[in-house]
Amino acid sequence: MSLPHPDDLQETWAFIEPSLYKILGTDDDSDGVTPDEYMSSYTAVYNYCVSRSKGGSTYRSSTNSILLIGSEIYARLKNFLTNYVLQLTKRPDETFLQFYVRRWRRYTIGAGYLNNVFDYMNRYWVSKERSDGRRDIYDVNTLALLTWRENMFDINCNILVAEILEQIRLHRLKQQNSPALLTHSIKSFVMLGIDIQDLKKPNLGIYIDKFEKQYLINTIEFYNTESNEYLKTHNLIDYMKRAEHRIADETSFATNFLDERSRRPLLETVCKSLIENHAPVMYEEFERLLQQDQFSDINRMYLLMQKVQSSLDPLARKFEGYIKSEGLMKIDNMDINDDNKGDRPVRKAPPKVLATDQQKKLYIKTLIAVYTKFVSIVEKAFNNDLLFVKALDNACRGFINKNSVASPPGYKGTSKTPEYLAKYTDLLMRKNARENDVSSDMSEDDVMTIFKFITDKDAFESHYRKLLAKRLIYGTSMSVDTEESIISRLQKENSVQYTSKMTKMFQDMKASTDLQAAFAQYVENKPNKKEILDDFNVYVLAETMWPFSAFKHEFSLPKELMPTYDALESLYNEKHTGRQLKWIWNLCRGEIKANISKPGKPPFILTMTLFQMAIILRFNEQDTYTFAELVDILKLPEEYVSGNLAPLIKYKLLNQSPPDAAKIGETSTKFTVVKEYRSKRMRVNFASNIKIEQKQELEETTKEIEQGREMFLQACIVRIMKARKQLKHVLLVNEVIQQSHTRFKAQVSDIKKAIENLIEREYLRRVDSDTYEYVA
Amino acid sequence: MSEATVTLISSDKQKFQVSKKVAEKSVLIKNLISDMNQDDDDDDEEEMNIPVPNVRAAVLQKVIEWAEHHKDTNFPDVDDEDTRKSTPVDEWDKKFLEVDQEMLYEIILAANYMNIRPLLDAGCKIVAEMIRGKSPDEIRKIFNIDNDFTPEEEAAIKRENEWAEDR
Repeated sequence: MSLPHPDDLQETWAFIEPSLYKILGTDDDSDGVTPDEYMSSYTAVYNYCVSRSKGGSTYRSSTNSILLIGSEIYARLKNFLTNYVLQLTKRPDETFLQFYVRRWRRYTIGAGYLNNVFDYMNRYWVSKERSDGRRDIYDVNTLALLTWRENMFDINCNILVAEILEQIRLHRLKQQNSPALLTHSIKSFVMLGIDIQDLKKPNLGIYIDKFEKQYLINTIEFYNTESNEYLKTHNLIDYMKRAEHRIADETSFATNFLDERSRRPLLETVCKSLIENHAPVMYEEFERLLQQDQFSDINRMYLLMQKVQSSLDPLARKFEGYIKSEGLMKIDNMDINDDNKGDRPVRKAPPKVLATDQQKKLYIKTLIAVYTKFVSIVEKAFNNDLLFVKALDNACRGFINKNSVASPPGYKGTSKTPEYLAKYTDLLMRKNARENDVSSDMSEDDVMTIFKFITDKDAFESHYRKLLAKRLIYGTSMSVDTEESIISRLQKENSVQYTSKMTKMFQDMKASTDLQAAFAQYVENKPNKKEILDDFNVYVLAETMWPFSAFKHEFSLPKELMPTYDALESLYNEKHTGRQLKWIWNLCRGEIKANISKPGKPPFILTMTLFQMAIILRFNEQDTYTFAELVDILKLPEEYVSGNLAPLIKYKLLNQSPPDAAKIGETSTKFTVVKEYRSKRMRVNFASNIKIEQKQELEETTKEIEQGREMFLQACIVRIMKARKQLKHVLLVNEVIQQSHTRFKAQVSDIKKAIENLIEREYLRRVDSDTYEYVA
Repeated sequence: MSEATVTLISSDKQKFQVSKKVAEKSVLIKNLISDMNQDDDDDDEEEMNIPVPNVRAAVLQKVIEWAEHHKDTNFPDVDDEDTRKSTPVDEWDKKFLEVDQEMLYEIILAANYMNIRPLLDAGCKIVAEMIRGKSPDEIRKIFNIDNDFTPEEEAAIKRENEWAEDR
């Protein structure tokens, strides 16, 4: 076989055309091209392009561009390809899709060969034309694909898509499987998306417009129908399992058959049909699953809904509502009669106030139980999804601060939960005399758990500090380490500022111990050493840090204690000039050894308040006093005298005459000390249960909290205004609320009051109706 | 497994058996081999005979020698024109291309025809070196070119290209 004349296009074309047919595939596809034919065709094209190009005489110096040969043979090739594609025909025994895929596969392979056979033309003529700006000239492979697009694809697109979608439908019904047909036909949409401006840039325009759109619509229809049908005959749990499978099916279908970009839209579509459209049913079922503790099904529901983010929010809100109502219900149904064995009817009206320690403990325990239960659900069923962690937190904040115990109907004050939690902590921290330890099932973690949810953190601080103060000065704390550990955890959870007073209290305790040691040395050299008590504790407490206020009334200290009092004051003033000591007489306690036992028995040890001591010491001098005489001696207000007398009479240390309890505070009522005291115990405590004080205490705490808030708000406003100089009312209020939320929930009315107050005191002034300015 | 080979046949029908790897230094041959093996997947490929009808044996021999030497060389990417232009000619290539002009010319043509870019580049650079710093007359002498310009044409060209003279 000899090569054609290089400069004869007609002859060259005639020479290569049969090989080109073989390359693209003849109808019977009998024989392929041989290496000989391949090389000859390449060489013929090469020679044709080279011979004419080097023909010298075609260019002269005036045009600097080199003239390359190719356009004529390119036109021939284009024409040839068009004719070739147009003459392809479907066999009677195949579907259009089968025909299309069969031919497409053969054609694309051939196009690759052709591209190589015409490589020389591609390399020089085509790339020159394109770099000169011709956008209608392509490398041979692209030319072949575009020819296919124009003469095969565009014309038959509708039937092609219809047949592909039918195949997909069968695939979904698992009825028939010809994956190769799908793979190749879908891939052809991608390959035919050619950007004629930039041939290398992938372009999915055709794939998206012609195929994906239809396909997604089709998918919605399919799954809408299928899911509706399925739900008619199956329960929701089965449906969810089905949906899981379907989503898995479609995911693997997308991976195997579709272009990568379709994955997301497809799954979104499927999830919308299968999940979002049926979300209301699932929300309904959700509550029932919660009631029945069906955690794995809830988890299944969660995992499904997670695929459609927007459907998860309502689920979380449902969850939140459920926890809240369960929390409230558990509190309403709390059985406050601690002896559980009782035959009493369980149901009863919820109590307004919890009286005993046991009840307060039960209340806190109930809160914790609800929280703990749902924490484990969040973990097991919702994989600790933040959305659900938040829902739990919100719900807890809701029912922990506001419920039938914390704020019974008609009650207007701040939530009682902080108070009860403080009490609970006190139970945990206090030394317990009795053997059956109430604190055995309590823990610091419990405290911290509830603390996190308390809105009125300042109220907790107040109550807690009050109880802590008592533990400290009465020495009833179980261990200093535990006390400090709680405080450091509170500090970590809230702020250094939050615990600063408590920290100072511990410092005062330490300083007091030092003072006492110094006092012991100090008295050594005193001439009246014998008159000074050597066994006592005194605490010097910073007034603003401790929840105690100085005793506001007059009191005449018994003369037996005066030398000690004087020595202590002079020592303290020596050490700290300019400091003022105020005495909190009402908190003082002491023990008295009383020789009023039966003859031969050891003396009694009586624990008394200082006031009781002042009373009883006088009975060393005479056996009977009238009420008026006692008031005169003590210089105390009458209610203190009668209040302190009551236990002495109740436990029969003094006899009252007349004995009528109501007459205890009458001027002429007489009190006589018994000659011989009778009691089973050697130690008798008269100091507890003095009524006046307890009542006052609670009122004081409430007042203290309110004052604390007022101060906090004012300080906060001044701080903000100092930084901002000018600020609109609404913005100021918002910022104050934000800054105070770690301590309590600030009420707008309180903030307004604080602003008014500051304007009056000329810290601020109004600029116009809703703007304030800081006054330096 | 012995290394796969192909047989290249020159225009004067001389056969050269070379390893596939060496032959594939020519993109033309490489494409052909991959195209031919694409449809019949029976891998007991009988040895392929590939005619190279535009190259005579003496030249094909040289080209194969070059390909053997560069069997394991990694050449810069074809599209990376800057690197291809700026790298100097490899020392071995320089020696290898110290041949008479006719042979050099034929090697360049063969490299272009067989699409062996690095060899084509090397050949062209050698020719460019031959031209560098020479006057038109000297160049004509080297390449044995007749001066077919009229004196007027020559003067016109000189005027047009005056900027390039006189470094």
